[in-house]
Amino acid sequence: MKKPVLFILLTAGLFSLQAQTPDEIISRYFENTGGIEKWKSLTGMKIVAKANQQGLEIPLEIVQLKDGRQYTKISFQGKEIMQGVYDGQTLWSTNFMNMKAERSDAESTENFKQQIGEFPDLFLNYKTLGYTVELVGKETVEGSETFKLKVTKKPIKVDGIPTDNIVYYYFDIHDYVPLLIETEIKSGPGKGQISQIKYSDYQEVGGLIFPFSMSQGIKGGPAGSLTITAYELNPKVDEVVFKYPEGN
Amino acid sequence: MKKFIILFFASSVLFAHAQDPVARGKELFGDLKARHIGPAVMSGRITDLEVHPANARIIYAGTAGGGVWKSTNGGATFNSIFDEYCQSIGAVEVDPTNPDNVVWVGTGEVWTRNSVSVGDGLYRTTDGGNTWQHMGFANSERIAGIQVNPKNPNEVYVAVLGPLWSDSEERGLYKTTDGGKTWNKILYINATTGCSDLAIDPKNPNIVYASFWEVRRTPWSFKSGGHNSALYKSADGGKTFKKIHNGFPAGQLGRLAIALAPSNPNILYTVVEAEDDKRKGLYRSDDGGENWRQLNNDFELLVRPFYFSRIVVDPRNPEVVVKAGLSGSISRDGGKTFKNLGPMHSDIHDIEFDIQNSDILYVATDGGIYRSWDGGTTMEIVENLPVSQFYHVSVDDEEPYNVYGGLQDNGSWYGPSSSPGGVEAKDWVRIGVGDGYRAYRHPTKKIIYSEMQGAENVWRFDPIRDQAKAIQPLPAKGDPKLRFNWNASLTISPNNPDRVYIGSQFVHRSDDMGETWVKISPDLTTNDPTKQQQEKSGGLSRDNSGAENHCTIFTIAESPLDENVVWAGTDDGNLQVTRDGGKTWTNVVGNVPGLPKNTMVHHIEASVHGKGTAYAVFTGYQTGDKKPYVYKTTDYGATWKSLVTPDITSFCRNIQEDYVNENLLFLGTEFGLYITLDGGQSWMKFTNNMPNANIHFIELHKRTNDLVLATHGRGIIIIDDISPLRELTQEVMNKDLHFFKLKPAVINEANGFGGNSTETQFVGQNASTAARIVYYLKRRHTLGKMTLEIQDQNGNVITELPPGKSKGINVVEWNYTIKPPKMAAAKTFAFGGFTPLRVPAGNYKVVIRKGNETYTSDLVVEYDKKSPIPLADRKMQEETARKLYDRCQELAYFVYEIDENLKAAEALKAKNASAAKSFAPYVAGLTQLKKTLVVTEGDNYVGAAEPQLRERLAELYSRVAQSFYKPNQAELDNMEALEQRFATAKADFEKLRAKYKKFEDALIKNGLGPISLKPFAEFVKEP
Repeated sequence: MKKPVLFILLTAGLFSLQAQTPDEIISRYFENTGGIEKWKSLTGMKIVAKANQQGLEIPLEIVQLKDGRQYTKISFQGKEIMQGVYDGQTLWSTNFMNMKAERSDAESTENFKQQIGEFPDLFLNYKTLGYTVELVGKETVEGSETFKLKVTKKPIKVDGIPTDNIVYYYFDIHDYVPLLIETEIKSGPGKGQISQIKYSDYQEVGGLIFPFSMSQGIKGGPAGSLTITAYELNPKVDEVVFKYPEGN
Repeated sequence: MKKFIILFFASSVLFAHAQDPVARGKELFGDLKARHIGPAVMSGRITDLEVHPANARIIYAGTAGGGVWKSTNGGATFNSIFDEYCQSIGAVEVDPTNPDNVVWVGTGEVWTRNSVSVGDGLYRTTDGGNTWQHMGFANSERIAGIQVNPKNPNEVYVAVLGPLWSDSEERGLYKTTDGGKTWNKILYINATTGCSDLAIDPKNPNIVYASFWEVRRTPWSFKSGGHNSALYKSADGGKTFKKIHNGFPAGQLGRLAIALAPSNPNILYTVVEAEDDKRKGLYRSDDGGENWRQLNNDFELLVRPFYFSRIVVDPRNPEVVVKAGLSGSISRDGGKTFKNLGPMHSDIHDIEFDIQNSDILYVATDGGIYRSWDGGTTMEIVENLPVSQFYHVSVDDEEPYNVYGGLQDNGSWYGPSSSPGGVEAKDWVRIGVGDGYRAYRHPTKKIIYSEMQGAENVWRFDPIRDQAKAIQPLPAKGDPKLRFNWNASLTISPNNPDRVYIGSQFVHRSDDMGETWVKISPDLTTNDPTKQQQEKSGGLSRDNSGAENHCTIFTIAESPLDENVVWAGTDDGNLQVTRDGGKTWTNVVGNVPGLPKNTMVHHIEASVHGKGTAYAVFTGYQTGDKKPYVYKTTDYGATWKSLVTPDITSFCRNIQEDYVNENLLFLGTEFGLYITLDGGQSWMKFTNNMPNANIHFIELHKRTNDLVLATHGRGIIIIDDISPLRELTQEVMNKDLHFFKLKPAVINEANGFGGNSTETQFVGQNASTAARIVYYLKRRHTLGKMTLEIQDQNGNVITELPPGKSKGINVVEWNYTIKPPKMAAAKTFAFGGFTPLRVPAGNYKVVIRKGNETYTSDLVVEYDKKSPIPLADRKMQEETARKLYDRCQELAYFVYEIDENLKAAEALKAKNASAAKSFAPYVAGLTQLKKTLVVTEGDNYVGAAEPQLRERLAELYSRVAQSFYKPNQAELDNMEALEQRFATAKADFEKLRAKYKKFEDALIKNGLGPISLKPFAEFVKEP
């Protein structure tokens, strides 16, 4: 499995100019990162990572399953804090003050539910999800030339008002992997600013290629980084972990 | 297999190398990013407001030099959405048929004051402002209005006012019927008369009103009005037009504003500029423009039509009319009478009513956007719009240094380049009133010089005593009238701290801080009398503000290498130099090749690299010549070489040389910042967080190497420490990775409490105080692993940092710390345990691993030499902090050992309850002991339990670790007490263990033991 993946990465540049439609770019992305069938066969993923915020390392465990269930677990001083947990019905997080589980507000939960089905990669199912993808041009990202793809998802609600939900993906024109994802922040203190996630350190795991480094921040502002130490594909997960602890 | 993978990744990288061109522009500059310090306290000129027709939260603001800003929260705050394009905005129009997504922006302000910028055409977004397409009219210079047919978005009208200082056939009213693919000029008058206002009937979009204005500026005059100014109407979608002047005064007309009442489109208002003062003012039509009657000619309706020509009608009530003006005024009786809007910054350019509630309105002024909640009586400023319009900037040598400058209609100010919590409104200090221009800190004394328009006042200000003294030169017996530019050339000397220069037509020099002045030159201008008739300026409305004063000296520069070499450039195109302190002057402008006669000298930069070396930047845009003119001489102006290349796309105002590398130059243009690394053979645009702003002045701070830019619309922008650019040679750029020389990093000792801004206020970004690790990458790192670690002198890894991966320059910041101590597991957090430990000053090594390659660089960390803290105190602080750090970790391990024992006891109980029974007191003892070591109940807030040893140690550690002083006696005594407590706990544990040493045997016997602990070193590495 490994041989073809890497061979394609090596020769990808030769075809860069021919790929012009979004679907050609997407299909080359899947070819280059392990093959579409292999991606489709994923049922879940566990990511072990550390977030670095000026000297403070925050250990994270992120689990995402095909059915939409997910969690992020932060471990500090022997305590585990759950964030962004979805159990199939309820989206919840641990409150940092009293360490108890709290439901997210109804609007956030509804908005979250809309993107269930994106796992493991929204480009696998975007048509079924009712998303549209268009190639809006080429742009340079950190010195690498990229294809800029505009993904229009179904509108979300922001403070009660239906609002466009658009995400831009920047694919390297040589390697066909995403280098940057951009989206406008729709609510909260950063509202109206552009959120950016940059990807690098792509490496192979079980025949698929994943980024082992991410940096997340506001366009033009500071960014925090996430270093991934391991990806576990199709992991065994204790189902209880997702469940919103009623009356906790 | 692994080898195979690496090999393929490596070849993949090699393959890409062959394809990648050498980094240039934004790629090359990489992490060198501009930071914006505003300010927003005085904000800047807003030119056009536009509301979303269905969502009251969305408001757009076009500005004079700060681009387009969008609010999504009803005007509480705004964000910039047009950074990459022309920042001078004429008109913003939301497509009423698709208002969430489609917005049109016409560039080029139409409030045509002397300092106005230029536009470069029409833009459109189809995604709410995320991306923009240029839609034509590149040479239009100014777009006054855009109207989209509310029933057919493919039909759009565009009013092109056109160039202010020259003829143009691009003026006129245009229409597209294919959504902007093609444009038809549907009404054109002549090359001097442009379309200045536009309205479309929302109920019958075939009815279009357009006003035309005959106008011209020269650098020395302004003329509004003529026989071609007129108001037109089309009833057939622009196929035919007729003049609608029935009721208008005869003779020449000037600027005409047009507005219709959305609730009754037959009701129209116009403001007429006419020959007869009595016939100027507000006119109203109730029959769609067929007949007009004059209603009012109050001052606010007449004042400066070129600057205030906007009427807005309440969308719900045709009798409520607001007129832009000096104060702005509102009528609630259909225009018969007006009262001024509430107190706010003067010079009102536009007004928008909320779409649902007419009590709410937004007002565009020379000093930002104001909101009213009570129909315009009380006005409240939007506090996060840093669109301040600086004309100039200078710096001092304080730490952090301050910036000084003057702004359009907003006085002069100074403020810090960094401040606790960020650069806030409260940090800015006013140092002049009126229109502000050039301001300087005295090089050695706490004295500030500033000025207002036309040097009407030049102040020497003592900020400590809050005393200002006027010091401008005045005509003495036998002197002619002194002609000062509106933006008068006040300058200080780089050689003599008490010396000040200012130019009228003469160079005036004072060697005693402005107490006495000596004219050291004759009239250095062309002294052309035809360009000195400002009292006639204005056209139909006289406008002799002084803004058109001409035949003046605009820039003065004393050589930093020789006080007798002084340069003076004039606004009428003379470039003069003296080499004997002003005894003799030579006009060297004739030696400048390719320069049209009488082109304004905007800036002279006297070089540090040679007495005879200087740079000169000329602007011709005010006579219609928008070409860049930038030159260098090395022989006192005898010969000049142009530094302009096709890379530069607009006219330029300022140049700054580097003090170290003569080939490194920074060029301020109408559309952004350009940098050359090869002495002007090629230029690259700097776009990293740098908007396409109009740069009026550039300063390079000598101590910090910070580039400080005065933008005319985006405030002060700083690029911190440009010194890596000095090292960027072709050889460096061909390396896969190159470490730039790392300056010794000085640990910043500020650890105060931050600022006091609230959520809706702009706060300028601070300079980073971290150590900056700077390197160049030939290609962006995408595939494979890349790490960066800091090692101590002995090669021990002390911390890892996320490396930058961009092609070009990367800057990684390190805040001189290693990760916080590993803390004992407990029920809640010990917050003090999140404090990272600061490293001592010393020599460190930066190691980057990328693929198979390893790159290293030395990094020296120093204490602040200006700090009063003695070295012995620092060492004591470091040792104590380290000791407490270690204690925290030892305690963590100790608690881990107890927990492992408790876990084993649980396992034993499960396996062999009767065997476990005899160890119940052991478990009880351990549990009791643990309760004294860490909290075992409560939460992280007010439900917190009584702190135990872990929490108390963490608190003390955090306090000592964050301090720069030696620990105080209370802290030392506290440490002793905690250490005693820890020792007692350990002894108690040993006693328990001794008493129940059979516990381990029981475990083994039951197949559970012995208890195996991770080694300490491994344990503390775990998160």
